[in-house]
Amino acid sequence: MRPAPAAALLFGLAAAALLAQHTVSVAVLALVLLVVCLRAPASRRWPYLVGALGSALALFVLTPFVERLPGTVYWTGPTIPVVGTLDVTSTELSGALFQACRLAAVSLAFAAYALWLDHDRLVQAAGFARRSVLAVALATRLVPALERDAAGLVEALRGRGVEPEGLRGRARLVSPLLAGSLERSINLAEAMEARGFGRPGSTRLPQPAWGLRERLALAGAVAAVVVGALWL
Amino acid sequence: MALAVAEDLSFAYPSSEGVALRNVSVCLAPGQVTLVLGRSGSGKSTLLRAFAGLVPHFHGGRFSGRVEVAGLDTRRHGPARLAGTVATLFQDPEDQVVFTRVLNEVAFGLENVGAGAHEIEARALDALASVGAEHLAGRLVTELSGGELQRICLAATLALEPKLLLLDEPTSQLDPEAAEALVELAVRLARDRGTAVLLTEQRPALPLEVCDRVLFLDRGRLVFDGPVRQARTWLQEHHPSFVSAGGAGDEHHRRAGEVACRLDRVSYAYEDHLLVLDGASLELRRGEVVALVGPNGSGKTTLARLAAGLLESLSGSIERRGRATYLSQDPGRYVFCERAVEEVAVGIGGDLTAARRTLAAVGLAGYEDRHPRDLSSGERERLALAAVLAPDPDLLVLDEPTRGVDPERKRELAGLLREDTARATLVVTHDIAFAKAVADRVVSLAPDRELVHA
Repeated sequence: MRPAPAAALLFGLAAAALLAQHTVSVAVLALVLLVVCLRAPASRRWPYLVGALGSALALFVLTPFVERLPGTVYWTGPTIPVVGTLDVTSTELSGALFQACRLAAVSLAFAAYALWLDHDRLVQAAGFARRSVLAVALATRLVPALERDAAGLVEALRGRGVEPEGLRGRARLVSPLLAGSLERSINLAEAMEARGFGRPGSTRLPQPAWGLRERLALAGAVAAVVVGALWL
Repeated sequence: MALAVAEDLSFAYPSSEGVALRNVSVCLAPGQVTLVLGRSGSGKSTLLRAFAGLVPHFHGGRFSGRVEVAGLDTRRHGPARLAGTVATLFQDPEDQVVFTRVLNEVAFGLENVGAGAHEIEARALDALASVGAEHLAGRLVTELSGGELQRICLAATLALEPKLLLLDEPTSQLDPEAAEALVELAVRLARDRGTAVLLTEQRPALPLEVCDRVLFLDRGRLVFDGPVRQARTWLQEHHPSFVSAGGAGDEHHRRAGEVACRLDRVSYAYEDHLLVLDGASLELRRGEVVALVGPNGSGKTTLARLAAGLLESLSGSIERRGRATYLSQDPGRYVFCERAVEEVAVGIGGDLTAARRTLAAVGLAGYEDRHPRDLSSGERERLALAAVLAPDPDLLVLDEPTRGVDPERKRELAGLLREDTARATLVVTHDIAFAKAVADRVVSLAPDRELVHA
């Protein structure tokens, strides 16, 4: 399938997860997207899955402590100034589960976009706002680029006999990773400008017309948004 | 008639107190291949950026004088407007790739300059064919070796059919054959299409044979501008390392000591299960420097990583005695600390005194408090070298230690590596002149993964 309708379909599923009102519906959407992501090669999918599922889990764990909703009290903790008494109720837990599923579904939709779509063709297909689409495509490449950089930094440390172990050892990588990605973005911007990026009157490689599958995917994207808003 | 002119050009980067270019005046004629030489940080890349309009438009800074390309004054016409007339190939191919597929990458510049939609693909494929990379058109750029990626970036510049081609150390990641092909291609472009080629190089032997003219920059000043024959005499007199074969001049066959590392019939494959090494054997002894050469993608880096203990072999055995350190190809990976001296001390438990001593040994005395990211590419390379030398290893493995390093520094580096007689040193390099200068023994990794001991 061409990347533009595939991206629209993933966007539709993410929108449906945001619009849906029932935890089960959102969980099913998240599950479907998880299956899609799991079909990607293990070496590429793990940072996305860790990011998506880890942040969803963190949201599920933290939400009951910051919300104050009535319901069956499962746990009562200390009283903290400003926040008040910490407790965990049944309503807070179900709300946290709902929000966590939502976050997981949206994050997994992005992961599926990053893992499966041909971003070059997505940029080529952009009939308008091509610069914005290119910026999104370049931003999407940040995750694998950071992963490669991190591996290179670890190798540079190990090559000096220093093993970056534990949280503190890994934290050491954060600053060079951020600085490195900034430096790379400046170099890339320079190379793009030297190749005429931003000049008026640009053209693009001709794109083949959409087939039945592409049209169905686009219809599916619209249907997902409508169904998510009205029935899920 | 001149195609490009720089007149009394001076420039200083905004973040720098020093001046990158001082009163440089140059005329470039169509069909002429001009080689720009100079030590690291002498202003070669800045001169190329000035002709591309990136200086001052992209970098900012203090600019005086005038630069004109094909009648376009670069003060009024920015790099995007000059693109097509001028095309630039930068030092590091990984930092200039925009797209994930090769064909899209080559087509990008053509799209930007408004080439006819139906001719873009044909021109992109033609450019790929001209660098011998048409078979890579459908590949992902992440799957390519450094050398292949450099050729793709060159194809992307050639596709624009520029009047002025700027090549900033284009052969730094290429094996000798690929480097020769690239330089020959640049010369052919100049002769056949009348393209003016401005080329910087830190391996000047090959371009000196084919270029028409040489410029030599020293701390931003143009100190020599003349035809190549005259340049050879001038270089011989003032900067002999730029024209010598790279030899340190001493006898290289020293008495080797005990074995520091022995690789016995080792094999290795990455995740795609393609064998990178198959039954390679190599012995590294204390007191000897071994150079490992071979074409791009032949497995030199993998062998070096195995020797340094950074990878586990699939089969065969590796015996290592003592501590090994490994210098990565990318000096940008040695940037964990805020000060150069602290960076060097990372591998020696924070011993700043020893770190200062090592910095001085690699010619970076006075750079102790500089931030590693503020150093030029050649200086970063030396900082990285200091970082792996500081632990005083029993086995030192260096992967392409001369990228971006000027010939005079290479000579010093060769001397430094040959000083220590207690250490075994493995140097992976494409720089044959450096290999000859530094090594007691040269080992070649052939495309069929066979090790040939020379």
